[in-house]
Amino acid sequence: MNIRAELAKFLNLCFVFSSAYMFWQTYSIIADTHSPIVVVLSGSMEPAFQRGDILFLWNRNQYSKVGDIVVYEVEDKQIPIVHRVLREHHSTKNNGKQLLLTKGDNNAGNDIPLYAGKKTYLAKNTDIVGTVKGYFPQLGYVTIWVAENKYAKFALLGFLAITSLLGDE
Amino acid sequence: MFSLSQRVQYIGNFSMTIGLVIIALIIGSSHFDLFQKDILRNSQAAIANIKPIVGLRTSRFYGASNGNPKENTRIAFDLNTDLSGLFNWNTKQVFVYLTAEYNNTEKGTVNEVTFWDAILPDADHAIIKLENARSKYSVWDYAGDLSGKDLQFKLHWNVQPHIGPLMYGVAQGDDVIVNIPKPESKV
Repeated sequence: MNIRAELAKFLNLCFVFSSAYMFWQTYSIIADTHSPIVVVLSGSMEPAFQRGDILFLWNRNQYSKVGDIVVYEVEDKQIPIVHRVLREHHSTKNNGKQLLLTKGDNNAGNDIPLYAGKKTYLAKNTDIVGTVKGYFPQLGYVTIWVAENKYAKFALLGFLAITSLLGDE
Repeated sequence: MFSLSQRVQYIGNFSMTIGLVIIALIIGSSHFDLFQKDILRNSQAAIANIKPIVGLRTSRFYGASNGNPKENTRIAFDLNTDLSGLFNWNTKQVFVYLTAEYNNTEKGTVNEVTFWDAILPDADHAIIKLENARSKYSVWDYAGDLSGKDLQFKLHWNVQPHIGPLMYGVAQGDDVIVNIPKPESKV
């Protein structure tokens, strides 16, 4: 077994992972958000967005408009919530704050029960992760499957290990 | 000859390239279809007969705080529109929403609120003829009251594609500006 060849292959693999990570970070900087691609986790926006859909976000707008689909995270939890802006109020001063009320299309009521503390509105500049600009169906289901299925992680790693061992006979 | 992994890699790369080309064709053709139907800027809607119903609510979920009641407004309205032109092979659904814009000059804010919305899953549902329909939401102004303000109503639409970017638009029509009365005081 040629140690050099194996190390070269490993280095190649590291290049692949680090360039994927760099692409992710570049997109984060361009879109001005820490999470520019999200996977839909709940059915609250059906039939528009199904669980597993991939959404591309953009966050360089100063104000959101009513009807925009925004992603926000409730303070303690890292779960992104994808809902539509129902109402917006913003001050006429330069760089005034904007307050938003959101609601999932498929939900009966608005999101006030979801907001942290006793807030009845979201603040655009602090709470909103980004606005949905583009959509790709169902490709994100892999990440949901890995996060929710106990054995999925091992299955995925095992699959990667086997393919890398069997490659280049 | 070629190893299995080489074949798999080649097939994988080729199908991904073909897939991206097909996706680009779908997005381009559906955009062009909407563009040449001239519906992106010229969709029409007739909103009429808006009757506001103003009342007071005391729950936190209706904008009240610390026991101070909050003025809530609902409306009855007529709506006539045909948005079937927005549907093509790449349209998954169209979301329509009736909003009202107003200024709150005492608090120095510009506001927009949604009174009613609907999901249109196909072109048949896109011909809307509503008479004396009720608003879905009870609306309150965050910083003040809606009464005494002039609200300008507009109908917006949002096309959700099967793949690609989301599209938004406003339906054109006569200006509809309604002044909201004070709530009737109960004796």
